[in-house]
This record gives sequence, C-alpha cells and structure tokens, in this order.
Amino acid sequence: MKIFQQSTEFDYSWEEVSTSNWVKYGPWNEKTPHVIAVDTLSRTVDPATGILRTERLITCRQSTPKWINSILGGQDTSLVYETSYVDPKAKTVTLCSMNMTWSDLLNVRETCVYRPSSSAPHAKTTFQQRAEITALCGGWQKIKNSIEQFTVERFQQNAARGREGFEMVLQRAREVFAEQRDIIQLQQKSKILQEARL
Amino acid sequence: MSASLAPECNEVKERYDNCFLKWYSEKYLRGTATTDDCQGLFKQYETCLSKVLKEKGIDNMLKEAREDNRENDAEHLRPVRSLGVFAQDIHSLVQKR
Repeated sequence: MKIFQQSTEFDYSWEEVSTSNWVKYGPWNEKTPHVIAVDTLSRTVDPATGILRTERLITCRQSTPKWINSILGGQDTSLVYETSYVDPKAKTVTLCSMNMTWSDLLNVRETCVYRPSSSAPHAKTTFQQRAEITALCGGWQKIKNSIEQFTVERFQQNAARGREGFEMVLQRAREVFAEQRDIIQLQQKSKILQEARL
Repeated sequence: MSASLAPECNEVKERYDNCFLKWYSEKYLRGTATTDDCQGLFKQYETCLSKVLKEKGIDNMLKEAREDNRENDAEHLRPVRSLGVFAQDIHSLVQKR
C-alpha cells in the first residue's frame, strides 16, 4: 500500500468553499476536462445530527498509459463512488471516494476534508487530502509496486491542477454572487424595476 | 453544472442541481432549512437516472461500493465534537479537580 497526503489553504470562507464544492467539476473549472459527468444518487439530512449525506457517481475519461490499461483491461471511462458528509455545526465537509472500475485489481480510497482555517476561520479554508492506494492483482510484486507508484504520482500531478481548477470556480462563484446581490439591491432601490416585477 | 452520464437526464438534472444549490446556500447553511425543497425534482431525476444505471449494469457495481462504504458512514455520520465543546469539557474537568 502507498499513501498520498497533502494539505493546502484557500482564501475563501468555509461557506463559500462548501457551496462551490458542489460545482467543482462544472464548466467554470477548466482544469478537470477528464471529469465527464457528476450524478447525485441520493441525498438526505440526518434528523439527529443535521449532517447532510450525499452519494455521487463521478464519471471520468480514462487517462492511464497503455501498459497499465493492458494489464488491467481496457475501458475508456472509469467510475468513482463518493459519499460526502456536511456538518454545518462543526463546519466540516468530508468527502470519501473509492474507485468502482478495476476494483478487483486496484483499491484507491481517498478522504478529503474542508474546514475553517485555524489562522483565519472566517476568511480561509483548509483542505486536507489523504489517499490509500493498494494494488490487489496477483502476480509479481514488481508490477503491483509499479501500479501503486504510478497512481501516487498521478495524485501528485493532479493535486496542483485540482487546486488551480477549484480556485477558478471559487473566484467565479464570488463574482456571480456579487452580481446577484447588486441586481437585488438595484431592484429594491428602483421604483421602475419594482413595478416591473409586479 | 456538470453533465449527467445519461444525456437524456441532463435537463432534469440541471433543474435539480440549481434547486439544490439555492437551498444549500440560502437555507441549509444558514440553519433555516425545515424541508427539502427539491424533493420533487430529485424524484424525477432519479427515475431517469436509475433506468440508465440498470441498463449499463452500474447498479450492481454500486451495491458493492455501498457495502464497502459502511465504515465511512459509521465514522462520519455522527456529530463531530467541535473544538469549542472540547475546550469546555477540559475546562470543567480542570475545575472539578
């Protein structure tokens, strides 16, 4: 098993980050074209704790090199199963994901947590990511090691790009919210617009 | 918004996603959510999607993933004790001594 870990900080409040998390892979993010689809499978609020639990299915375009594809069996898309837990009181968003494709051969389990930064809880958000990668395929240890190593390196490459992409989404979301606020203010101030709304 | 893996569900998915995002930012995060405003739209989206998941055999893969995920539910579906509460506990412990 190999482990990938990293943490970073975003200059946005936890409320902004946790909202934008839902549109992280949308058109505002130009850095994740490999994510083709994001589907919500279920969503419930736990009555006892107020925790919002969401199940999602994430469809990605396969981008593994040919040598891995030939070992694990060629498929052009891969599926990821994600459950997330938002605790609005503790202000945490926890995302747990695992691979559904090739799950007999490779086990990737990732946990990400967004929480207010301890240095500036109202303005900044900390992101922690941890992934455990285990190759399960029988046979040579050397092949298992290579597959695990490749997957860890992929996580490293994606970490920087993932941050950049989410940063684009956060910025765009802030602009859109500001525009909406302006429009509402304008409507409240302008008599003509108020009458037009009626 | 992201697309659906089933193109025929894109339209209802987008309506649901917009509804959810509004509910999440304006009600849920502010602690004023009493009902799930988007339940009707979700049902429509779910009906559309589940048909395709079945056709593609993804529903069976999901059953396995859900089994594997039980420990995550056990760990994360309980309230996280906030540091504030923790600090109060320590404070009262110290006072007792």
